[in-house]
Amino acid sequence: MDCDDCVEKLYAFLDKELAPTERKEVAQHLADCGDCDDNFVFEARFLEVLRDCGTSEIAPAEVRKRIVERLRRDSPPSTL
Amino acid sequence: MSNDAFEQEALSYIDPLYRTALRMTRSEADAEDLVQETYIRALRFRAQFTPGTNLKAWLFRILTNTFINAYRKRARAPETTELDDVDEFSLYRRMSAERPASSSPDPEREFLDGIVSSEVTDALEELPEKFRTTVLLDVEGFSYKEIAEMLEIPIGTVMSRLHRGRKFLQQRLYDLARERGIAALRTAPRAE
Repeated sequence: MDCDDCVEKLYAFLDKELAPTERKEVAQHLADCGDCDDNFVFEARFLEVLRDCGTSEIAPAEVRKRIVERLRRDSPPSTL
Repeated sequence: MSNDAFEQEALSYIDPLYRTALRMTRSEADAEDLVQETYIRALRFRAQFTPGTNLKAWLFRILTNTFINAYRKRARAPETTELDDVDEFSLYRRMSAERPASSSPDPEREFLDGIVSSEVTDALEELPEKFRTTVLLDVEGFSYKEIAEMLEIPIGTVMSRLHRGRKFLQQRLYDLARERGIAALRTAPRAE
């Protein structure tokens, strides 16, 4: 596997979506190639930042309250 | 599963549903309506849910379907952008090239550590709709297969949308970091 092949599989590797054989090939290339490894580390950290920042928000208490109240009104538990 | 248990478990996903709805609709009022509609449909069609399968994924499928149907009705013309201009972009390569001019020993880390949630949410909202929806589902932890099923698109399309969506976000967040003037990028040339 060369660097281009490796970089092409970058996201599928980081997303844990590669088949075991391909995963092994990429891992082997990363062990041999410092530049690709640095690139993968950077991208992995970037995805982590996206996930952390993208999932930090919660529904405001009043929104939650209104949604639950309307659900109860529209479909009271006894008639569900 | 009893009705109460179903409702309780469904409501435990209100935070991920709400923040995804907020990024999809880009409006607090529309997000609340979208989540409300999702729950109303979920309770109405709950017989179609197979107990023991992934309730979060089932709810997200309803959320995305409801959003896409409403959105496509409202949109005057279909989006044509494919974001193909960012396909080859690599922030890692760009930062490596700019490193000699940087005042920081680790500009990549300084850039990543400096990103704040509001910048990520702003950048997400700038993504064209189909890329945004795909990236948001990924951020919530769904697999390629689950996203493909929710959006009724091939897995290859999920992969290319994620690739381009992420590259777009990298580029946008890098621009925002430079506007903020973080030290690592202060001396970097404004090469486009």
